[in-house]
Amino acid sequence: MDRVQTTKTVLWMLTGLAAAVGITRFIFGLGATTNLTDATPWGVWIGFDVMAGVALAGGGFVMTAIFYVFKREKYHDLVKPAVLTAFLGYLAVIFGLLFDLGLPWNIWHMIIYWNPHSPLFEVGWCVMLYTTVLLLEFSPVPLEETSHYAKVRNILMKFRFPLVLLGIMLSTLHQSSLGSLFLIMPQKLHDLWYTSILPIEFFISAVGLGLMMVSLESLVSHWLYRRKPESDLVSGLAKFAVWVLAIYFIVKMADIIIAGEFGLIFSGTWESYLFILEMLMSVIIPIILFSIPSVRRSPGGQWIGSTLVVFGMIFNRLNVGGITMMSATGDTYVPSWTEISISLGVVSAVALIFLFAVEKLHVWEQRPSHPESAPHTRPAFDHASEVWLGTPFAAARTKYSLAFVLAFAVGFAVMPEAKVEGSGASLVTVEKARGGDTLYIDGNHDTYGTSFKHALHVDSLGQKQSCAICHHMNMPLDEQSGCWECHRNMYTPTDVFGHDWHANPEGGRLACNQCHTENQERSEANAKKCDQCHTDLIPAAATIKVDSYSAPAYVDAMHELCVTCHRERAAADTTRAAMALCTACHADAPSGYLKAEIMEELPAVRSHPVILPEQSVAEPQTQGETGGR
Amino acid sequence: MSVAILTDVTKCIGCLECVAACKKTNGLELDHPRTWQRDDGLSARNWTSIVRKPDKKYIRKQCRHCLEPACASACPVGALHQTKEGVVVYDGSKCLGCRYCMMACPYGIPRYDWDEPVPYVRKCIMCYDKITEGSEPGCTSACPTGATIFGERDQLIAEAHKRIKENPGKYIDKVWGEHDFGGTSVLYLSDIDLGFLSYGSRPDYTSLPARTAPAMKAVPYAFAGMGGVMYGINWIIKRRQKLAGNPETDKD
Repeated sequence: MDRVQTTKTVLWMLTGLAAAVGITRFIFGLGATTNLTDATPWGVWIGFDVMAGVALAGGGFVMTAIFYVFKREKYHDLVKPAVLTAFLGYLAVIFGLLFDLGLPWNIWHMIIYWNPHSPLFEVGWCVMLYTTVLLLEFSPVPLEETSHYAKVRNILMKFRFPLVLLGIMLSTLHQSSLGSLFLIMPQKLHDLWYTSILPIEFFISAVGLGLMMVSLESLVSHWLYRRKPESDLVSGLAKFAVWVLAIYFIVKMADIIIAGEFGLIFSGTWESYLFILEMLMSVIIPIILFSIPSVRRSPGGQWIGSTLVVFGMIFNRLNVGGITMMSATGDTYVPSWTEISISLGVVSAVALIFLFAVEKLHVWEQRPSHPESAPHTRPAFDHASEVWLGTPFAAARTKYSLAFVLAFAVGFAVMPEAKVEGSGASLVTVEKARGGDTLYIDGNHDTYGTSFKHALHVDSLGQKQSCAICHHMNMPLDEQSGCWECHRNMYTPTDVFGHDWHANPEGGRLACNQCHTENQERSEANAKKCDQCHTDLIPAAATIKVDSYSAPAYVDAMHELCVTCHRERAAADTTRAAMALCTACHADAPSGYLKAEIMEELPAVRSHPVILPEQSVAEPQTQGETGGR
Repeated sequence: MSVAILTDVTKCIGCLECVAACKKTNGLELDHPRTWQRDDGLSARNWTSIVRKPDKKYIRKQCRHCLEPACASACPVGALHQTKEGVVVYDGSKCLGCRYCMMACPYGIPRYDWDEPVPYVRKCIMCYDKITEGSEPGCTSACPTGATIFGERDQLIAEAHKRIKENPGKYIDKVWGEHDFGGTSVLYLSDIDLGFLSYGSRPDYTSLPARTAPAMKAVPYAFAGMGGVMYGINWIIKRRQKLAGNPETDKD
């Protein structure tokens, strides 16, 4: 039974890792835990958890249809596991969605706010209803454990056929509607995948995938518990699957040929190879394999064939769900490990529930014995050599807990700092200005800085007294600190107060109450300001008051300081209106405006826009027009 | 009344006053380059931006306010919806954060508060409050050269065609947004191709919600049809089994 225990340990580990990531995601937001961008707002959580998850859970409606509607009685043993898998699959979809949704606590809004034009609205409703139907379909199994609920169980059994029928109808709708989701994106989705019959293709492939998922699940669980595989049933499903996959293949190829896109398959683009790979995996090789009776009946053929279909169809959902949109959006999305760990964790959690149900409930005709209750030999103390002999004993459940807790801790330990801070900003360290009487200010060294005539400003603003107009802070043991010493980052504010240094015995050795008011929650609000201790920190005449522990971004600080003053002077003296123009400082910028390249690189930089004085408007306008002709 | 904005690319000098006015009017905070932003300058805190192209071409980017908005049709809870003036507005209290609107928009306009634990979808709402007060949006009122103007859609389209006619050779003979994706309320006149504003290379004049509509209309029929077919098949099979007196009809 070590196989089951090892599997469970791994599953618990993955769940623990996902728990750590999940907590981080809810505290710091999606930007901190995902590689999603404005161009790729759906990632692996939708592509795998929702799109592939629903399709994988399709085994439920396929098996109930085969057994209850088509009356293929021999598949009886596969029905209960299939319904359970489907129910847990939908639970995983909903649970996974809670991580992906920005405002998951509003998920119930679909019940009260209706938009029937939206395929997602329809999918949402069907998933809600179908999950309920699946719960009702499966609940006779746990209910039979006690006789207390015999009445409830009898009622459920009486409504079994209507429930099955309703389940099939709901599945038809949302399996296909998942395809309808992408009908609205003809520009983004690659032509080989975009078609107006996407919903039909999604439905047919869900049936084929459902069959193969039930097969694979039967193979895996029987391997896990070392039971005799249900190879007769699996080969029967494989025979069905051949027909379904063949129909899928014909429909798909016919659609591509009619649309005149057949040439695209062999056009040699990366999408064309992706398409060929997908078709080989999901359809062509499995059809060939399963068409040969001896291969269909052999365990190896069943394993390979069903695995190919399952992964091929997941691949299809990922392709439609985003991969083939990358050419159009120009954004290459690779999921972060945190995203993948959530996906794996959710699947692991429901797999654990599945194993629990299989062991404790009557899902199979014959319950497997509990692996945790397997007899074990305790280590024995050998008196002759005075040592314990035998393998150290760790109870299975202790092992699971340990796996979970360790993975949980490791998850936090390896979480990248930037992710935890949730900034998502790439930090650009500021370089100090170069020169003497004329300073070249170019914080990020991209050559779009300005030659700041320091001596000239000192002269025109009034010699020594003028320092305080710009210089507002002198760091300890420093006279007129350089701007870059506090405004250390080009685009994001910097924390300039070393709290830990002040409290550390190696550093400032200050007790909490030396700065914070006693008997109050310690916060920035009730702490002393810097200049209450460092009396010479801020020059008395400084025009800018420092009352915060963080310094604005370098580019913001520079622009604010210079532009505010320039603008005031330009307004006061109309003959000097040009002072307010960008060219006043950035003289090398072409025709009065910043170079195109810098603005494209730094789209959000201009936080303090310069107002064009009335008089100067005419000039650049005519320039713009001549340029246009 | 259906309102619109007409932006004449040849008149824009790229001064970014519209961007500043937008930030001021909508109370948007400062923004910094983030890893998840696209390089067009739009973000959750920048609802309009200037895209710079070679030869001093400045193209103002903002929500196009489609006449048949894909985002509003995609939103499962109707958080995005079109007002009677043709403006597409957003109600954050309904939103559940599925980001289907961002997927659906052909122009890639809606942006997300990726750095917030309580994130919302952000985009230009044409300063809807100001429009209902009879005023005009912040951006158009701030433009120093009249490159971007606000008005009634029909009149602006007429004005655009008039400018094309009066200045032969100056513009490409097309009003961007007149028919694109069923028409948009934000129109462009330009001397360079503006195809880059939308995803995909082909011009498309069909409305996007119309592409989903047939599938959505088929939903009740598919639902009832599948139920009927399944019930019928089951009835036939059960009857056959009864007639044969043999419940086991299965074979591999």
